[in-house]
Amino acid sequence: MTDSALQKEQALIEGLKARNDQSYQEAVRTYTSGMLAVARFYLDHSSSEEIVQDCWVTVIDAIQKFEGRSGLKTWLHRIVANRCKNRLRSARREVSTDFSEALEPELADRFNAKGRWDLPPKLQFHDSADTLMENGALSDCLDKHLSALPETQRSALMLYEAHQHKSDDVCNILDVSASNLRVLLHRARQKIFLMVENFQETGEC
Amino acid sequence: MLMCKDLAVIASDYIDGELPVLENMSVKMHLMMCKDCRTFIGNLRASTDMLNAHSSGQADEELIRKIDERVALALKEGSQDPTNQDPD
Ligand SMILES: [Zn+2]
Repeated sequence: MTDSALQKEQALIEGLKARNDQSYQEAVRTYTSGMLAVARFYLDHSSSEEIVQDCWVTVIDAIQKFEGRSGLKTWLHRIVANRCKNRLRSARREVSTDFSEALEPELADRFNAKGRWDLPPKLQFHDSADTLMENGALSDCLDKHLSALPETQRSALMLYEAHQHKSDDVCNILDVSASNLRVLLHRARQKIFLMVENFQETGEC
Repeated sequence: MLMCKDLAVIASDYIDGELPVLENMSVKMHLMMCKDCRTFIGNLRASTDMLNAHSSGQADEELIRKIDERVALALKEGSQDPTNQDPD
């Protein structure tokens, strides 16, 4: 950071400590997008927004203890990450994935007794993910299905991608074994696959 | 022989490059001969890519507005903190 940026951040921190309305508005506009991106590693869209809102409210008290050893942005991101991890920890007890089943039942039913496709995938998804995501309806649909995934499956998938496929990191955060992570990932991907396929065939979510 | 269903079971491991060498080779062989599985693997991979394109967070105005409201409320509530109140 340049000196002037540091001074600006310092002034902002002072404003936050002094509970200044305008400082909060400025900080919220500067840092919320980054915080949301961090939350999205762990949670679906609507839960992420919820967490980020909650974080800002806790900042009001927590900022008093902020000593500036890290930058404000890093500090905020850590608050978000911790809150997400806590949420996952409490969710994990509720969710159970059958780790002995690698296939989603809906997909498993599409093979005949010999293990060949009975109902093969008919359509090829568009090559570019960005083209797909320009479709607002599909994007909304994806959100809906992501929210419906068991929390551990979703965060396994999101974290695995966000951490550049470093399994050790993800296993640590989620506290699952490497082989169970593989199942979580595969089950989550199949659900997304089935959802996109259904959307492409019917146009409905 | 690797069947389509077997391949579906290990599809993610294949995509992530997590398969042992021999198994990886038999998947490749199967994919050369089986169009359906090629489509499946391609679509499964596209689903993940799509998720990546999707997950980049951008705060919209609605969210910012909600946060402003909640923060303003919390700031106000805080000022009613007993330590800040006039003794009666
Ligand atoms: Zn096949």
